[in-house]
Amino acid sequence: MLDRSSIRAIAFTAALWATIVGAQAQEPAKYPDWSGQWHRVGGTQWDPSKPGSRGQQAPLTAEYQAIFEASLADQAAGGHGHDLRFTCRTSGMPRIMTAVYPLEIVVAPKTTYILSEYVMPRRIYTDGRGWPKEVEPAFAGYSIGKWIDEDRDGRYDVLEVETRHMKGPRDFDVDGLPLHKDNQTVVKERIFLDKASPDFLYDEITTIDNALTRPWTVMKKYKRDRNPIWTEYDCSENNNHVAIGKETYFLSADGYLMPSRKGQRPPDAKYFDRAGK
Amino acid sequence: MLDRGLMGTFAIMATLVTTIAVAPAQDIAKYPDWSGIWRGDHGFQWDPTKRPGLPQQAPLTPEYQKIFEDSLKGQEDGSQGNNVRFTCMPSGMPRTMTVLFQIEFVITPATTYVVFSTNNPVRRIYTDGRDWPKDDEPSFTGYSLGKWLDTDGDGKFDTLEVETRNIKGHRTYESTGLPLHEDNQTVVKERIYYDKTRDRIIAEVTTIDHALTRPWTVIKPYMREKQGVPWIDLICNENNPHVLIGKENYFLSYDGYLMPARKNQSPPDTRYFNQTKK
Repeated sequence: MLDRSSIRAIAFTAALWATIVGAQAQEPAKYPDWSGQWHRVGGTQWDPSKPGSRGQQAPLTAEYQAIFEASLADQAAGGHGHDLRFTCRTSGMPRIMTAVYPLEIVVAPKTTYILSEYVMPRRIYTDGRGWPKEVEPAFAGYSIGKWIDEDRDGRYDVLEVETRHMKGPRDFDVDGLPLHKDNQTVVKERIFLDKASPDFLYDEITTIDNALTRPWTVMKKYKRDRNPIWTEYDCSENNNHVAIGKETYFLSADGYLMPSRKGQRPPDAKYFDRAGK
Repeated sequence: MLDRGLMGTFAIMATLVTTIAVAPAQDIAKYPDWSGIWRGDHGFQWDPTKRPGLPQQAPLTPEYQKIFEDSLKGQEDGSQGNNVRFTCMPSGMPRTMTVLFQIEFVITPATTYVVFSTNNPVRRIYTDGRDWPKDDEPSFTGYSLGKWLDTDGDGKFDTLEVETRNIKGHRTYESTGLPLHEDNQTVVKERIYYDKTRDRIIAEVTTIDHALTRPWTVIKPYMREKQGVPWIDLICNENNPHVLIGKENYFLSYDGYLMPARKNQSPPDTRYFNQTKK
């Protein structure tokens, strides 16, 4: 039979053991499982709860409403308006989160990566850093995030993100719904799983931008595929749009330049005339 | 002074604590730390130890040596030859491992992601023990399976062996247009590891391709990005002055007009514009 000293020793060690194992178990388990492939639910318009174009009822200033109307008119005539995505330029924030093609979210303790075949990756730094003094602006911006354990169950469930330092031009969606050319956009997000249905993920996105009369919040929803097949999407492959100056054209099936709208003239060949002299 | 019974008890419990405490830590810690931003420590040529173009001494078959030399000749005249990267098409494997800017390795137990600061797609190297898929859409990046090795027996993985198949084309090794075979049967094998003597991540890349007379191995080193230098996104399609119309490449002038890329190049055929006017 064990004496009292041995019993005390065992009890002490067991307590120590539980603390060590518990602490280590918490580290990997404290982040949510956002693995898999996330497909958007709904269309590619910015606010999925409303129809596209003017149906978005975007809270634009008068100046930017006029820019938007001009974009729509140009698109109706065969142009691309304010939307430059046809050049295969990355969407930028916040439009990246429309997830035209599926997303993958890789959660690591210091950084959460949002990957897509369609756009440049996002990095959301969760290592406690402050905003850097100097940042090269990027279409995806610079994102700092903070994990929140909202239900206090010892596991993070919400990622709060703020993104600054975006470059432009950017727009909200394919209709050319514009963001301000001053590129002072701030995007705030809350990303979380549906607790009742953990194969749905939400991103509550608030855009603060000088093209808007007020912050504009939309809710993006994504559905998980736990056995994904990743398909590479290469915008530049077989892209039949050609931008020359402010004009856009098409490439025909047999490789010749074509007009993209009625009455469009061919590109000015003035430099070819000079070269021939 | 402790009696023997108590000392024995402490010894047993100490061993038990050590064993249990180490086990979970081993699981997390068994992967190497390749975190942070790395930068290609090499030029744009495929084999960094040699100059680009013909000095690469690529072991090409006669057929593909001719394609290569035709590409070089075309480039002398101002065309892009066999190279299509100027259209912002992805480099594809293996060329994507030539990193002129930044690269990042994100290691998780099931997958190692390789992320590039240019517009090359993210590589996914699956290390979850899966087999080759029966039906997989070919891609420029291909499909990669990897296996972690502990080559020095210290209980920690240090080398990632990778095989990549199912790659689509058109691909070249470098901007000189050094070609891979159009049959897209390329297999790329890699050993990726950290060289602590040089503080470099090293990728030993072996290409097996029908345009080659033998497997071709090159070494690609990546150095740590300087402290304080952030990740920089380089968007190929932003301000790209190259325009491809059919098989002809042109330039865009600073003021937005089409320009010839070579001497005496004619402007593009505008036959469809003439038809529109009728």
